[in-house]
Amino acid sequence: MLEIQELTKRYQRKAAIDQVSFSLRKGEIFGLLGPNGAGKTTLIRIINKIIEPDSGTIRFNGDLLQQKHLAHIGYLPEERGLYKQMTVEAHAHFLGALRGMSKSEINTSLDYWLKKFNCADWRKRRIQELSKGMAQKVQFIFAVLHEPDLLILDEPFSGFDPVNVELIKAEMQEMKAKGKTILISTHNMRSVEEICDRVVLIHQSKKVLEGRVSEIQDQQKTGEYAVKFRGNMIAFVNALWIGFELIDKEILGDDRFIAHVKMRGDNSFEDLLKTLMGQVKIEAAWEVLPSMNEVFIATVTTDSDEK
Amino acid sequence: MRELRERLGSRSFILMAILGPMVVLTFTFLIFQFGGKDQQKWHVLIVDPANIMEHKIMSAEDPNIQYSFATNYIEIEQFANDKRFADFDAMVEVNEKILSNKSSFLFYREKPSFTMSVNIRYQVERRLEEVLAKQFTKLSVAEFRKIKQPLNFAFRNVYDPKDVKSDMAGWVGLFFGAVIFVFIFLFGMTILRSVSREKTNRVVEILLATVKPRSLMLGKILGIGISAFLQVFLWCLIIGLGLYFMRETIFVDIYDASNQAAGQVSDYNQFVELVFDRVQFGVMLFYFSLFFACGYLFYGAFFAALGAVSGSESDGQQFLIPLILILCFALYAGYFALENPDSPWTTFLMYFPFTAPVVAMVKLAMGFADGDAYQLFVSLFLLLVSSVGVIAIAARLFKNGLLQFGHTLRFKNIILWLKVK
Repeated sequence: MLEIQELTKRYQRKAAIDQVSFSLRKGEIFGLLGPNGAGKTTLIRIINKIIEPDSGTIRFNGDLLQQKHLAHIGYLPEERGLYKQMTVEAHAHFLGALRGMSKSEINTSLDYWLKKFNCADWRKRRIQELSKGMAQKVQFIFAVLHEPDLLILDEPFSGFDPVNVELIKAEMQEMKAKGKTILISTHNMRSVEEICDRVVLIHQSKKVLEGRVSEIQDQQKTGEYAVKFRGNMIAFVNALWIGFELIDKEILGDDRFIAHVKMRGDNSFEDLLKTLMGQVKIEAAWEVLPSMNEVFIATVTTDSDEK
Repeated sequence: MRELRERLGSRSFILMAILGPMVVLTFTFLIFQFGGKDQQKWHVLIVDPANIMEHKIMSAEDPNIQYSFATNYIEIEQFANDKRFADFDAMVEVNEKILSNKSSFLFYREKPSFTMSVNIRYQVERRLEEVLAKQFTKLSVAEFRKIKQPLNFAFRNVYDPKDVKSDMAGWVGLFFGAVIFVFIFLFGMTILRSVSREKTNRVVEILLATVKPRSLMLGKILGIGISAFLQVFLWCLIIGLGLYFMRETIFVDIYDASNQAAGQVSDYNQFVELVFDRVQFGVMLFYFSLFFACGYLFYGAFFAALGAVSGSESDGQQFLIPLILILCFALYAGYFALENPDSPWTTFLMYFPFTAPVVAMVKLAMGFADGDAYQLFVSLFLLLVSSVGVIAIAARLFKNGLLQFGHTLRFKNIILWLKVK
């Protein structure tokens, strides 16, 4: 769908993007992650042809990215901006026309989205009459009005209340199901875990990590397991003996605990469960995977330390 | 199109389009209706050795101008220095050649007021037209005026008779030039504010994701420019209609027999005579449009670039000052051209794109010497070429500066953004 190859952009001597390559597949939600100043916005602007790269190529459905492809790309920038004097309808017509839509297409699409987001009565209202959250919603509608094949969302959840965050997430999943590709840049790692299929992590202008969310978490796991049980903590520790190591514990009350355990020697998860059975009442047990937030912090910190 | 629609739909555009010309018309009317009440009082000697004027000048007496006639030849130096003529403020030379070369001069001691010069010009010219019509045709004066050729009736300082600097037509040119610059400034500011606003509310990022920066800049300049052009067109239309209405109803032709019969006589119809007969509106408006369009593109690109490179709206204001100074200088250049029409500096200023629109209009109104008319086309060509060049440079600044936010604009930024491709 979108192939980015060795993209580089420099401002004077400083590289904003340095030899970054990755690709987006059709029908996936792709997370573009990175700390502030990593070069995410520069990358997004290059994909939108707002700025030109110094070197490297971008291919859209196999063709070198050209101006004509922008009609198939939707963009919601981090800094939201609308003409405050215009009505929602007039604004939609203006932006829709820029994306090459006819008047009837714009009207049909606008009707659909306004109804879907329960805001059909906003049509004739001026942007300045809308609250910040309402304006955010309207801007999302404008980004998807032309039913783009690729939707680029820069911090799409900022400014939304939890209800609307869920609404936008659901909408993204629906679009994905329709075969649309979504590139999302966000600092909200929980959302990344929830909705992204794959991610790329940019740090100090370079790509430092790329892959499926579950694979990345798997790569970064530390062999830690959690056991939720009811019973005596001393009995639990005694049962572990020398085959396992207690890392951490959490007291839940009512003689219930969550214990974090690591294996010693060749012991497996099954061995742990066998050892504990009969000593305590196991309610749940699972392998502890690092959150994307932990992956993010660990990768960024390690990368900075190495440099 | 969005820009154009927004401008045309705005209340200020409608107000400006209607109120602006109405104010101009009202002032015009007031100045010539009441401005004459405290005019200078002049005693004019008409030197008419061939007795062409037959000792009469107008049907109704003008309380501010007293005419005397001399049928002997009087030299300029004699008039200037001889105490016998000290009571006369001006001398009009009407020799027998006037019937063939249609050229006459008025030599004054002190520069006449605008109203006084209009009155004398009007009264003398009208009388001469009567003479010419009677001498060479069987037409009525009104019919004759329809086919007449302009009479060259020039005002000269008696102490400096070769000086031609106070040509009233030049003021008309300066007026046209000033109108160009007023509109350039007003609509240039609109461009600046529009770009700044789009930067401030960040809508520019969405726009740039659909159109190229150069297209965005040109669209903005052209959209606002078309609204400016429409505004000017409405001004011309309303002022033109207003003047026509005044001519037909208030400032009627006092020498037209039919009007006299109808009793529609006014003392103050000189202005309409000046406006309708002396100023070549067709030519002036044609070149006015061309210079306005090119001048607007030239300056508009500066305003657009300034809006794009500014970190904030207030940031742009301080860099606006040099631009305003240049615009003021251009107006002064127009006045300089009026005072020194034949100076090489005037020619330079007519070619210099910053001052070309106003200086060219002044020169055009004053008339080019034989063989010099090409200067007008050179001026227009240079302005057009400069506009293209400035747009190219401004487009680069626009592109590189548009997505820079929150900075304080410095010259080094501008230089840097000019270098970045």
